[in-house]
This record gives sequence, structure tokens and C-alpha cells, in this order.
Amino acid sequence: MSQITGQKYDLAALKKVGTIQQRDKEYFVLRLRLVGGDITSRDMESVTAIAREYGRGEIHLSTRQGIEIPFVPAGRAEAARNAVEAAGLKMGACGPRFRVVIACPGNTVCKWGTLDTKSLAREMDEKYFGTETPHKFKMAITGCPNNCAKSTENDIGIMGAILPGWQEEICTDCKLCVNVCPTGAITREARDGGKGRYILSEEKCINCSICTSSCPVNSWIPVKIGCNLTIGGTMGKIPRLGTILKKLVTDPEELRDLVAKSIAYYQKNGRKRERFGHMIDRMGVEKVNQEILNGN
Amino acid sequence: MEIKKAIDLKGVICPMNFVKTKAALAPLRAGEFLEVILDEGDAILNVPRSLKEEGHQVVSVENLGGTFRVIVRKGAE
Repeated sequence: MSQITGQKYDLAALKKVGTIQQRDKEYFVLRLRLVGGDITSRDMESVTAIAREYGRGEIHLSTRQGIEIPFVPAGRAEAARNAVEAAGLKMGACGPRFRVVIACPGNTVCKWGTLDTKSLAREMDEKYFGTETPHKFKMAITGCPNNCAKSTENDIGIMGAILPGWQEEICTDCKLCVNVCPTGAITREARDGGKGRYILSEEKCINCSICTSSCPVNSWIPVKIGCNLTIGGTMGKIPRLGTILKKLVTDPEELRDLVAKSIAYYQKNGRKRERFGHMIDRMGVEKVNQEILNGN
Repeated sequence: MEIKKAIDLKGVICPMNFVKTKAALAPLRAGEFLEVILDEGDAILNVPRSLKEEGHQVVSVENLGGTFRVIVRKGAE
């Protein structure tokens, strides 16, 4: 209980369990924990029942794929939370800690996805949800550079990424790839009397799968399948897009290792209420990248 | 290469451009060629990809500036 503000509730402790005081202090919002925005229809029925029983029958869809139940009277908040847990649902989190992982549908649903985002989101959420950090900490996993889950707006962003490779012997020289590549990374070099030669600029390539999925004869194929890892993304008062920690990470173990090192680095170096990205800008992108990658 | 049929889909949006491309391919025999004019953006991104899924083959793409001249070989039935 806070002596200073005279409030009746330990608001920081309540935030840990997804219970957030409203503007009208007599009411609380219950924030649920839905990884990647997924919920079964059966669980949805429990949510609606709890919202009617303990709130005003209202449900709010949060900006990070979550469900919140507003207008739960202070005196019933704990009972409502117990009801959520009794229904097999989990409470979300607020405050300076690792929040629910969000994700786009990924390659099990979307034609452009190159990453099983939902499995990875569940794994990351299982491992890190609730982990204490200097300020709020968000992770998003998006299946490809279309970036529907806005991974670069998150403290850690994992984006499905492929490296295309050209197989000369199969190519029919139709030029579709040159015309659909969103960044002009593919160029065609004319050759006397024969088929053109296609060249990929790895620097310009954003690792989407437009060329590999469009090529009529699969002359472009993914020669590497992995993800691009960004750190330090945030929106809010001082927006900053995530900066690349490493491109085309293909080994899941390396990905797990870099995520763990990034979080540990922020826990060690971040100031209280300083977002990861602002810490990176204070210390220098190059320095932070090098120290995380080299494990210092 | 003999073009059997040509359609101009400038200004025709997805998915109607693909529907019209399929309709234009329908009377052709496998191996015959259709010429399609497609807009830049979604049209050139989506129509060739959908044609691939249905077993047809884009054999050439010419950038006309804002539109593309695409030659499609009809796939086996």
C-alpha cells in the first residue's frame, strides 16, 4: 500500500497480474494474456461470461492483440481474476516487465509468411512473460517483411526472412522478378545472344519472398530461411524503429541466444523507465550491437 | 511466339484482373499464348503469382512505365 498517495491498493503489484486501475479509481481493467491474439471460441465464452458477471458486459480489444475487461469494481477485482484463472485463462501484465508476445498469423495461414510465428510466440511468451525489466518490454513476431505485426515497433522484433538465390539453368529470362522486387534488388544483365544474367544485391534485398514465390519456374529459391532480429523499437512519446541486431539468423538456437542476451543486456544497462531503444541511442547502436553479439 | 489473344486490364483491380485473365485463357489450348496488360502495384504482384498457382506460366514481362505487358503460356488442363 502506498503511504504517499493514500491509495488503498498496491497498484504496482496489481499491474503485475494485469489488473489496472481506471481513471475512476473505483474500477479496474482486467488484462488477459492471449499469445499472438489467439483465443478459442470456448474461452471466448468464458470471457464474455466474466465480463457480464464482474464488469458491465463490455470487452475491449487492445492494440496488442489482447482482451481487456473494463469496469470491474475494485471490491470484485480479485474475485474476477480468480474467475479468469478458474476458467483456464491467464492474466496479462502491465508495468516494467516483459509483456505478452504478439504475432501475425505466420506461414501456417498467410501466403507470404516464411516463419511459424505462433509457435515461436508461444515459446518466447512461455520463457519470458513477466520478466522484470527497467521499463515495459514488448516483443512482436512477424512472418515476413510485410511486417503486419509491426515487429520494428517492439523492443525485440523477430521478422521472417529469406535469402533468395538464382538458379541460372532453370531461368527462362521472363524478367518478372526484376519487375516485382519491391526494392529493386534484382537487376538483369544482358548477355550477347543469350539469356540475361540476374544479380541480387544483398544490401538492397529486404529478405521478403516475393521473387521466390512469384518466379514462374522457381528459378529463385530461398537459399537461407530464418529471421531478421531487431532491437529497441518503440512507439509512444519518443518513437524509434528497431535497429538490426542481426540479419538472416537461421539457427533457432542462435536466435534464442541473441534474444536472451538482448534482454540481459537491457536489464544490466537500462535506466529505470528508460526504454530499450532509448538506452541503445544513449550508448550507441554499434557499441550495443557489438557487446550483445560478442556476449559481453 | 504467336499471341492468340490480348486483353488490356489497365485500371482493372484485384481480383477482377485475375478473373478476366482466367476468362481470356479459357478458350486457348494448352501451350498457347495470351498477352495481358497489367497495372503496376498489386496487379503485377498478384496476377502472375495466381497464374503460377493455377499452372500457367508467365514467359515474359515488359515494363511499359506504369503498366506491364505480360505474356502467359496456358498450362495443361
